[in-house]
Amino acid sequence: MKEAVLLCHVLFGVACLLTTTCLFVDVLNAHEGNLARIRWMSRAAALSLWLAFMAGGWFYVVDYKADRDVILKGPWPFAHNYFMETKEHFVITLLLLATYLPIAASNNLAANRDARRLVLCVAALVAVLALMAEGHGGIIAMGVKMGLLGKTN
Amino acid sequence: MDNNTVSKLTVPFGLSVAVCAVVNALLVIVKEKSTAVTAWMQKLTGHHWITHVAIVLVLFALLGWIFSRANGGQGPAMPLPRLTRVVLSGAVAGVLIVLGFYVIAD
Repeated sequence: MKEAVLLCHVLFGVACLLTTTCLFVDVLNAHEGNLARIRWMSRAAALSLWLAFMAGGWFYVVDYKADRDVILKGPWPFAHNYFMETKEHFVITLLLLATYLPIAASNNLAANRDARRLVLCVAALVAVLALMAEGHGGIIAMGVKMGLLGKTN
Repeated sequence: MDNNTVSKLTVPFGLSVAVCAVVNALLVIVKEKSTAVTAWMQKLTGHHWITHVAIVLVLFALLGWIFSRANGGQGPAMPLPRLTRVVLSGAVAGVLIVLGFYVIAD
């Protein structure tokens, strides 16, 4: 169960990242013909992030304590002290931006250049923060691995 | 809706994102500096992080709604280029405060 939740967290996080990147490219070439797809993708990106956030939140609250103890006793305590501590908080800003994406994308992006720029900026931030979250997650997982290796050696 | 007008929620919730991103970061600092605040947040929902998320999300919805009621229900009159700068500044500042704080705190 714990592993499935964690896998869902990563899967939906990557889905958000990929969807937002596709959205960004589509908005660069916004025209009447792709507005419906842009709006659909903005909702898909927000939904993916919410699912990733809930899965990650569930894991953090219910199961993370054991992993944290392993990290803190291992050679990479910064994996928790810095990377987990920052990740658990900056993803809240990521969640806000992803939630805002469908609102910003509801305007006529084909005709309104300023509205297009707003969506491009928000989508770029979502993509960068999602990528950061993935990187932080990788370091946290590595911290657990280093802790476990340290114990067995 | 005219091609160049924007939806009534664009400006209010954009402003709300900017404010809440900074509030989120400040809440991190307050929480880390005050054990009493952390204990209170822990007690409220069973986990300080759940309370933290709940506070920010409720504030996001509330501010978005309040801003949308401003200006006779039209929402704040703000040009989109300025809104874009505000959203970017708020979100980037919020993230940088969190990233920077834990460098100093460690």
